Amino acid sequence: MSQRINRRNFLKILGVGGAATALVSCSAEPPETLIPYLIPPEEIIPGVATWYATVCRECPAGCGMLVRTREGRAVKVEGNPSHPVNRGRLCARGQASLQGLYNPDRIRQPLLRGDSGQFQSISWEEAERLLVERLADLRRQGKAKGIACVTPLLSGSLDHLIGTWLAALGSKRRLTYEAFAYEPLKAANRIVFGLDVIPSYDIGAAELLLSFGADFLETWISPVAYTSAFATMRAYRDGRVGTAIYVGPRLSLTAANTDQWVRIKPGTELYLVMGLIHVILKERLAPSIPQKEAKQLKALVKAYDPEAVAAVTEVPAGKVFRLARMFARARPGLAIGGGVAAASRNATATLVAINLLNYVTGNVGRTVRFGPNANLAKLATYRDMLSLVKAMDKGEVQALLLYGVNPLFTLPEAAGFRAALKKTPFVVSFAPFMDETTAEANLILPDHTPLESWGDYSPWEGVHGLMQPVMQPVFKTKAVGDLLLSVAKRVDDRMAKEFPWPTFYEYARDRWGELHRRLAPMKEFEAFWEEALRSGGIWKEARATPVRLSPEVFQMAFEPPELDGGAAEAFHLLPFPSLVHYDGRGANRPWLQELPDPVTEIVWDSWLEIHPEAAKRMGIGDGDVIAVTSPHGALELPAHLHDGLHLDTVAIPIGQGHWAYGRYAGGRGANPLVLLSPDPEEVSGGLAWSATKVSLRKTGRRHHLVTVGGSSQQFGRGIAQTISLAEMTELAKDGEGAGREAHRPKQIYPPHDHPKHRWGMSIDLNACVGCNACVAACYAENNIPVVGKERVAEGRIMSWIRITRFVEAQQPNRPDIRFLPMLCQHCDAAPCESVCPVYATIHTPEGLNAQVYNRCVGVRYCSNNCPYKVRRFNWFQYAWPEPLNWQLNPDVTVRTVGIMEKCTFCVQRIREAEDRAKDEGRVVREGEVTPACAQACPARAIVFGDLKDPRSEVSKLSRDSRRYQVLEELNTQPAVTYLKKIRQALE
Amino acid sequence: MIQLSYSQVNRDLLKTMEPPGKVYYVILALDLAVLAWGFYAWTYQLRTGLGVTGLNSPVGWGVYIATFVFWVGIAHSGTLISAILFLFRCRWRNPIYRTAEAMTVFAVMTAALYPIIHLGRPWRFYWLLPYQQRGHFWINFRSPLIMDVFAVATYFIVSAAFFFTGLVPDLAVVRDKAVGWRRKFYTFLAQGWEGTDREWRHYSSAYLLLAALATPLVISVHSIVSWDFALTIVPGWHSTIFAPYFVAGAIHSGLAMVLTILIPLRRIFRLETYITPAHLENLAKLLILTGLIMGYSYGTEFFISWYGGNIFEQATFRYRIVGDYALAFWIMAVANSVVPLLFTVKKIRMSVPWLFGLSLVINVGMWCERFVIIIASLAHDYIPFAWGLYKPSWVELSVLAGTFAWFFLWFLLFVKFLPVVSITEVKELVEPPLKGGVDP
Repeated sequence: MSQRINRRNFLKILGVGGAATALVSCSAEPPETLIPYLIPPEEIIPGVATWYATVCRECPAGCGMLVRTREGRAVKVEGNPSHPVNRGRLCARGQASLQGLYNPDRIRQPLLRGDSGQFQSISWEEAERLLVERLADLRRQGKAKGIACVTPLLSGSLDHLIGTWLAALGSKRRLTYEAFAYEPLKAANRIVFGLDVIPSYDIGAAELLLSFGADFLETWISPVAYTSAFATMRAYRDGRVGTAIYVGPRLSLTAANTDQWVRIKPGTELYLVMGLIHVILKERLAPSIPQKEAKQLKALVKAYDPEAVAAVTEVPAGKVFRLARMFARARPGLAIGGGVAAASRNATATLVAINLLNYVTGNVGRTVRFGPNANLAKLATYRDMLSLVKAMDKGEVQALLLYGVNPLFTLPEAAGFRAALKKTPFVVSFAPFMDETTAEANLILPDHTPLESWGDYSPWEGVHGLMQPVMQPVFKTKAVGDLLLSVAKRVDDRMAKEFPWPTFYEYARDRWGELHRRLAPMKEFEAFWEEALRSGGIWKEARATPVRLSPEVFQMAFEPPELDGGAAEAFHLLPFPSLVHYDGRGANRPWLQELPDPVTEIVWDSWLEIHPEAAKRMGIGDGDVIAVTSPHGALELPAHLHDGLHLDTVAIPIGQGHWAYGRYAGGRGANPLVLLSPDPEEVSGGLAWSATKVSLRKTGRRHHLVTVGGSSQQFGRGIAQTISLAEMTELAKDGEGAGREAHRPKQIYPPHDHPKHRWGMSIDLNACVGCNACVAACYAENNIPVVGKERVAEGRIMSWIRITRFVEAQQPNRPDIRFLPMLCQHCDAAPCESVCPVYATIHTPEGLNAQVYNRCVGVRYCSNNCPYKVRRFNWFQYAWPEPLNWQLNPDVTVRTVGIMEKCTFCVQRIREAEDRAKDEGRVVREGEVTPACAQACPARAIVFGDLKDPRSEVSKLSRDSRRYQVLEELNTQPAVTYLKKIRQALE
Repeated sequence: MIQLSYSQVNRDLLKTMEPPGKVYYVILALDLAVLAWGFYAWTYQLRTGLGVTGLNSPVGWGVYIATFVFWVGIAHSGTLISAILFLFRCRWRNPIYRTAEAMTVFAVMTAALYPIIHLGRPWRFYWLLPYQQRGHFWINFRSPLIMDVFAVATYFIVSAAFFFTGLVPDLAVVRDKAVGWRRKFYTFLAQGWEGTDREWRHYSSAYLLLAALATPLVISVHSIVSWDFALTIVPGWHSTIFAPYFVAGAIHSGLAMVLTILIPLRRIFRLETYITPAHLENLAKLLILTGLIMGYSYGTEFFISWYGGNIFEQATFRYRIVGDYALAFWIMAVANSVVPLLFTVKKIRMSVPWLFGLSLVINVGMWCERFVIIIASLAHDYIPFAWGLYKPSWVELSVLAGTFAWFFLWFLLFVKFLPVVSITEVKELVEPPLKGGVDP
């Protein structure tokens, strides 16, 4: 690596945040290798963590992250508290970005496809020369127009650089492509309000949230932000809680967290929305809209009286009335849509209707705000991708540059990308991983992962996240920005002049100079820049633009969706984005593979969901391998019976079925995109995700789908408890402390003495949505090994915290699915402690139930006697393939074979805070210690603190009127208090 | 009274110690092969970790602990027969007690292997012993496992001492007949026994004392083993009935095992004169008693779980009879409490083949009982989401077979190195020779 790469000098830059350990700027040359202890740079204090602020690029939501590094290695990522998108919280995918950085299947140096068709390693020098020659050739021959570049959503310096760079070469073929591009959402806003944008949805402020297939807790637009807002909305206040209703053909995780799930025939959401507007207008429940518009709208929805709607949607007319009245009454309400679930051929029409529904009930401008808008609207549409494919097919594309996209996996197989790729003479991939598309490339110039790169990303107007490398690159990779600049210098002099920046770092700084002039011209640039680095970016309030109905809406034709497939294809196919794998990019992270899908509890696999009745009709059992055929393709997947599904629908998660992409992703399940129709939705040009019909056939083979969890029922054991809103209101009258203190029977042994602290936790089941972020965070923080599918099947999963899921007696359309994070309860009278023969598990003076690894002989008696079953035994000596082991937290022991382990309440964090407090001669402050799970939780359901301090948040919550403890009658006296989920009775 | 002379007794009973034939060596070789295979399986487990077993979360204990309890149980009848029946002056015990006692010692030696085998880190087993470790660490006396260590160790020491004490006069007889290295060996073991009045006096009081010492152990040891379960809060374990229930079960299984061993022994070594059907019948009668206690205990467990109104207990017991391990439960219920009732039929309890067959059934039943108590309770405890299933792996079954081979190896050695029937005490049953000492 040459001296020119100043990005390596990132240590010059302050990267401080969160717990804020300042790293003082200094001129020491950073070490060239990643063995920092050999020549420790003086600014790194061994044993003290350094935090860097950056942006998560695992999905387009662009959450802010703080990365904890130790001795020059990133060991943990957390949400950036000052970032306006996620406010310090982070999802499981964000947590797992570390496993992208340290993925053992990363491409380690440039690769060139040789004559034999095999890749061979080449030097960067040679790789760059090859690229430059090719591009310069094309330019000379006047074929520069044939250079195409596809990137994911970028919205900052790199975006600008790629644009200008491509333009300088002489091409305009530039596409920003994401699999989930929300085209109908954008189109609907254009049609209804004349704005080609994706607005802000204020879920937190809504009294009634009506989601038409938008899985906002999982993957829709900005899941962390929306989970947080959802928790706010659902929180109890003055006798009320927000109501959420989900309309869709499948009971998704999001649907499972609502009060009511309206099962609807897929593709008919439009009719229900129109029916709602019909009722609202007819019953004059929408007072605020002008007479003329009301009249026009009335005419538009005339045909959709509830009876007609009921006939099409299979939603009873009475329910349509009730929904309409409830929604109109809510001040404000919010209707959202645009998820994959409702992306049929009339997706745009549905979203137009949803916009109108929000409009007539006066929500536009209140819970739907046009500003700040999402930069997602800048994405190319699926149709644009199709035109690129067509161009490639025609041989118009001479060189295809792919950066951070995997269209071979994320485009429908029938879209013909594979054949088009073969016709493209020169395909260059900058991917850090050998994904499906990269495996077909001619030349691979591996990029850094985002955690090693400079950059910036702006998910929303006014939110400018700044990315900085948090450590030295793990492999011999090169940032794509640096590469483009270096290439520019070598193509020809004119281009060299146009791109004088030595590295992308300087380029980005210059671009930020512009931002500086615009946003904070008073400040010194250096101060502005350092401030941005420290806080992870710069944020500015964006004002909302008022909108009016555009006349275009009245020309809208609302047609029934045409589906692909004839009478032979009896089932409607619903592919849905996986919570953890997103569009497939998460599949190579072992943590994410091991996280159980919260709805089905399946790990490491993909499946076909089918309604039990339909399955019975066809003689299909759980685990039967089913051949699924559509007019466009076929695949085989094991069946999983799921009664949260429309009868005629089958659902397949998107994200698995990789045939490349490394050891963890490869060969698991199937990719539903091979089944999809390639035709875009007419109006928006988006991919019609759920517009394909399929037929099923049993193959006679079976496949073992491994699930976590024994039984989903509680058998009246009161483990995950609820409280009705009425009871809650009654209790709340009595004020704080209305929740009874736990009954404490007499004991032979005296209670433990806690001289300083008694650490405790409270978990709000009303907030928890079961998203698994806490579990992923715990894996990252506590060096928890991933054991793989077979060992999970044997009951050897190692997770210290897990989301237990209970399904109460299912009433039709009313999900009562309860998620309860279960972890060591740190009992005061712990059953595990008395039975340990060697005192390997003991109660500490601070109220922790400590496990002394070195003392443990492995009798497993403690686990047998633990009523919560939260102890995990090391059945094997687990290994982390190099360099995944670089992520191991040096503050936490890596456990050896034959001993017991379990949740420690992140004792290392408690120690750190206590040491700091001691150094500063004070006591530990409230909020100073946050375990990894509580830190990550997007819903802020977990609160940690000192139970001895009666004023601490956790103490207050432990006396809350919703308090209860799991299996309280056993008198284990847990330090974890749960708060009951609030139940609402909706008709 | 046995109508035999002392010398005839000597001749008959020492015949068992004659150099063995081919069959013996074949059996010995087979036994050693199984033992070696079990040992290999164990080393594989040591190298790889306990993951090679079928254990998991929630089932932290499986076949290993079940078999530990099984063997400790087996051990009990030996002492019951040798000590308690001795104190009760049940002289019919005399010809059979030696074998029963050997069984006790070997069963404890086998049982003691399991706690070490099932450890996650067996190389640290000595941390379970009561000594000051690393300066100031001590063991947790509240843990039933520590109580176990004491109970089993005490039981082994006392029963081994008792066994040896009873052997001494016989060893002197063997010594007197032996030549070569055997003579030296038995001279050492016989401890200079001369058969003087003084020696007999001391011997008798020592024997009585040890019998008195061993008797409470019969009750206490298995009570303590049962506390491994009773002192926890696992539904199906947490029960006050466990101590008497386990002691009865131990004796039940031990008696069955005595029958299983005695019947072939008496046949092979032609000891029918000494071990008569009457002896076997007495054992069978005892089995009726213990079988009734077992049936009563099972009934009580179910009654209390219903009567107690604890939903966890109720669920556990419902799970036992209809759940995943119902087969083991029904084998246990029928074999332990119904099958012994067959002995109320005189014809059956007088028939050696029936006795042998049914004793095997009871043995299997008792092993199943331990399996059901341990595994079925752990598999379905408090949190339904954490429920899981357990299936023993080939490693566990191999180790299991290996430890059975270990037990039988000691037995095979025992029958060739020591008199299997007490010469001394059989002579007590023989008409004493004429005064003047002329052997007819």
